[in-house]
Amino acid sequence: MENLTIILVEDQREVLQAIAKDLEKFEELIRIEECESAAEAESVMKQIIDRGDYVAVIVSDHVMPNKNGVDFLIEVNTNPTFKRTRKILLTALATHQDTIQAINKANIDLYLEKPWKKEELVLAVSTMLTHFILDSGLAYTPYVSLLNSEILFTKLRNASDV
Amino acid sequence: MRTLRSLQSAKRLKLIIALVIPSIILILPTSVFPFDGLTIIQQRVIALFFLAALFWVLEPIPIFATSVLLITLELILLSDSGLSLLQHPADASFGNMLSYKEIMATFASPVILLFLGGFFLAEAASKYRLDQNIAGLLLPKFGKNPKIVLLGLMSLSAVFSMFMSNTATTAMMLAIIIPLLKTFPAEDKSKIAFILGIPFAANLGGLGTPIGTPPNAIALKFLSDAHLTFGKWMAFGVPIVLVMLVLCWLLMIAFFPASSKEVNLSIKVDFLKTPKAKLVYLTFIITILLWLLDFAHGMNSYVVAMIPVCVFITTGVINKEDLKGISWDVLWLVSGGIALGLALEKTGLATLVIQSIPFDQFHPYAVFTFCSLIGLIMANFMSHTATANLLLPLMATIGTSIANMQQVGGSVYMVVATTFCISLGMSLPISSPPNALANATGLVQTKDMAKVGVLVGIIGWLLVLGMMIILYLIDFLS
Repeated sequence: MENLTIILVEDQREVLQAIAKDLEKFEELIRIEECESAAEAESVMKQIIDRGDYVAVIVSDHVMPNKNGVDFLIEVNTNPTFKRTRKILLTALATHQDTIQAINKANIDLYLEKPWKKEELVLAVSTMLTHFILDSGLAYTPYVSLLNSEILFTKLRNASDV
Repeated sequence: MRTLRSLQSAKRLKLIIALVIPSIILILPTSVFPFDGLTIIQQRVIALFFLAALFWVLEPIPIFATSVLLITLELILLSDSGLSLLQHPADASFGNMLSYKEIMATFASPVILLFLGGFFLAEAASKYRLDQNIAGLLLPKFGKNPKIVLLGLMSLSAVFSMFMSNTATTAMMLAIIIPLLKTFPAEDKSKIAFILGIPFAANLGGLGTPIGTPPNAIALKFLSDAHLTFGKWMAFGVPIVLVMLVLCWLLMIAFFPASSKEVNLSIKVDFLKTPKAKLVYLTFIITILLWLLDFAHGMNSYVVAMIPVCVFITTGVINKEDLKGISWDVLWLVSGGIALGLALEKTGLATLVIQSIPFDQFHPYAVFTFCSLIGLIMANFMSHTATANLLLPLMATIGTSIANMQQVGGSVYMVVATTFCISLGMSLPISSPPNALANATGLVQTKDMAKVGVLVGIIGWLLVLGMMIILYLIDFLS
């Protein structure tokens, strides 16, 4: 079993806790790190990488003081260490320009609108986690209860019996 | 997190156990072992066997990684090009070293290339959507009655898994039916039948051909003297699959009856008509025909397996990227099994150990029954291929070195029966990857899987024993 982490970035503490609460079920097998700013997330991610562990999924708010979510995810996207890390942007007030940046430069994988529904968020994270685990060549069997089975079946079309 | 931490500390503990026990075996004096004339090399093989068994059972590292570890240790500890500090050829009790070339050759032994050919066929079929299109074409022919649709899904899963991996077959078929199951009423029990029927049928289908599932590869290695051809294997493998499939289907509809009268499967069929796609269809058919007709053209199944490899590589059907998608892990896992078998056989350890156990006192049928049952039980709790890696070399030796085992056909029958029983292990989510996928849907409970899985295992075990008696009486395998 590898150490996988889901990073949550949100400047409002109550909202951050609400996201973490919705993603509770993942904590059975995956670490969830709650960060209140992009800078905090960056330092947490550096520690994770230094330990040799994985950042599987990032769920980031958009509008934050100092560095905003899109700029943060653009930096993650240009760092080869995180090339398989899946990025979810959680946003309430995205301008047209922000959206263009998020797609073209940050290469985000999923766009979620605030306020979000719990099932929607859980499905998004489990889908992203499934992609991350299979793309990274990690053993998927220990995590099946947390994964999106439809994605799992589609991606295992060439899987071996091991 | 607590679950994760306890899993991780359990993993560390497993790693320590798997390393310490073989190390102790390695440093003990040869005299403590209850085998007369045990050589130092043989003692090292005992240690390596325990190492492999502990690593494959406890899985502190991936099972194919264990194979690579095993082969490397064999090269260092047992081979004629190993660490010279550890070689004492002047000492009479040192024993015979293995040829390093022979150990390395396990990576490219004929059965490995046979499987490579099978993987190429499967990869090309899935790349050109041949498998999905055949399923889409045939499934509507089974009508709308849920029972018959289930039979159709199970039959196709079994047939596909004879040529593709059981896991890939299960993933494809589950992807087809999951959208359908969402339309079922919540209390309809037949959902469980659909989700369990597919992996069970895929596991069973693996018995049908030599390339159906990796344990068959290890079996072929130990059957190389028996000249068991592709067609001959299918001649007894397919009937067992058919009977088991029908029994399994009956169990499914009895345990999980459908409440709805009708199911509507609609799958888009769109056969690709590009030249490369046509080449894939043609190569698929020709390869299977060549496999079945080896008596007519003289090329054995190993040689035939190179044909799809060559055709797909030279025409770019399988390119550099696709090549990375080939299951090298399975090939290496099987290589490790072959290397373990080689060490047990060539050092004479297998014979020495088996002869020191008084198998002669038991009726050969009792030994036969017991050995295949061990295979079935182990395969429910660990990887089928790893089970085959550990058990089949011992079964082959029991069959040849115990005199009265000849009364029941000797090692050929022992190996085939055990291999089949290994593929019948499917009562838990951990028994096989197809079972794990059924579990991933979240729609079946372990107790449902266990209920049918145990019955399929026991019925299948008895059936395999019966089949072996018939084959022996008509002298089919000699």
